[in-house]
Amino acid sequence: MIPAAAGIGLRFPHHRAVLEERPAVAWLEVHAENYMGGGKPLMVLDAIRRDYPVALHGVGLSLGSADGLNERHLARLRNLAQRVDPGLVSEHLSWSATGGAHFADLLPLPFTEEALSIVCRNVEAAQESLGRRILVENASSYLRYRHSPIPEWEFVAALAERTGCGILCDVNNIFVTACNHGFDPRRYLHALPAERVSEIHLAGHQVRKFEDGRSIRIDDHGSRVSHEVWALYAEALALFGRVPTLIEWDTDVPPLAVLLDEAAQAQCIMSEERTHARPA
Amino acid sequence: MPALLDLQRAFAASMLHEEDDAVCGAVVDDGFAAAERLRIYRNTCRSTLIEALRMTYPAVERLVGRDFFDMAASRYAGAHPPQSGYLNEYGGEFPEFLAAFEPASELTYLADVARFEWALGVAANAADAPVLDPLTLAAVDPQDHAALRFEPHPSVSFLSLAYPADQIADAVLAGDEAAIAQVDLSSGPVRLVVHRGPDGIAAERLEPGAYEFVSRLCAGEVLGRLLESAPADAPLLLAAQLRKGRLTACRS
Repeated sequence: MIPAAAGIGLRFPHHRAVLEERPAVAWLEVHAENYMGGGKPLMVLDAIRRDYPVALHGVGLSLGSADGLNERHLARLRNLAQRVDPGLVSEHLSWSATGGAHFADLLPLPFTEEALSIVCRNVEAAQESLGRRILVENASSYLRYRHSPIPEWEFVAALAERTGCGILCDVNNIFVTACNHGFDPRRYLHALPAERVSEIHLAGHQVRKFEDGRSIRIDDHGSRVSHEVWALYAEALALFGRVPTLIEWDTDVPPLAVLLDEAAQAQCIMSEERTHARPA
Repeated sequence: MPALLDLQRAFAASMLHEEDDAVCGAVVDDGFAAAERLRIYRNTCRSTLIEALRMTYPAVERLVGRDFFDMAASRYAGAHPPQSGYLNEYGGEFPEFLAAFEPASELTYLADVARFEWALGVAANAADAPVLDPLTLAAVDPQDHAALRFEPHPSVSFLSLAYPADQIADAVLAGDEAAIAQVDLSSGPVRLVVHRGPDGIAAERLEPGAYEFVSRLCAGEVLGRLLESAPADAPLLLAAQLRKGRLTACRS
């Protein structure tokens, strides 16, 4: 079980430090795709799993593909989940594959009834195959479609309602998307069904400025969590109660101590939050 | 209103070939043009794949330099997108792509170095499998030996290369100028077996007779037939394959 406390996303540069130092962190999350082969990474994960609660976070299943899920990829995820026995399994509200080609990014979906039924079908297929509930995470967005009549937060809520999946609320992603598309991120948080939110993600993003004065926020997981996102996180806790919270860092990965420091800050905000703990 | 399937196919044309026309009309372009927004995604996709190739082909990158590598990898990524989200298995056609890549045609050995690095990557990522215990083999009735077939560890692969790619890769990755100077491109073909054993990933050069025996052994050829044309040291070779963990099972 993943505790209602702060964890960190474990990446390869920190394998050795975590194995040798066994830092005091409540739980760890790994990208499932990094452990789908054999050999050393899997041995490290086995060793870490003995001492820490571990969550699996997929980045390549493409829950939004109109073609349906890649059965081979789903089987690999199932095999890994059977071996690791993770506290949580999560994926993204996005698409990455079409016509047999995979795009190594979380591409945006139009929020339509058709897309909702496709994502529901894929989430149900994943849950059926894995034999467990999964969490679905909102992605950062840099474009909107002209035909996208359902607000994203309603789409997420409907997905959870129809499939029984949990919500992985990425507060940084909500902030990035809200800034890029001009809506109030608090509106998003308030619209989510609190009882469905089983995990929160936090990460840094960058503001990419153009010479003509325009700017866009890019979710690069390459810096500390911004002040605005910490503030939004406190609001999220007030709404959802204490839920497992993860610090992610993927670009220019700093020493482990920096991630632990970010996790400690999340833990501190969580401790100030007086509402009930909600372990996943 | 495009159906999701059509929209995703149109988006794919933008990601792969920079053909934005089909998808642009479906994208809101307030503040940033649709093409600018699509470019953000395309750049992320492309750079993730280039990094994946860089991880698999470090010696190739050393040989051609970072800028050339990025150019070649980007070209490859546009023509050969991954087929799944498991990127460790991405890049298997890169050696053949390089062999036919005109701007690298003077580096005749480059594709062989890539073939060697791909085999190392396959060995690193292969599934775990139990190693065949020599005692299992010892328990087989000698009169059944001729009917035995062996299964290789999933990490095993065989390479017959025109150039000493293993020596080139080791030398350039070590940055060892003396070792690089010692490479003789005309030294003739090399035959390698690559696998992941208990001690890690290993590449071993084999003489022609041993290469043929071990590769046929690992291809599951029946032992009796194999021994008809085997080199004199075949029993030692078989024992070495067991010791190195290149075999996982035997059956008759």
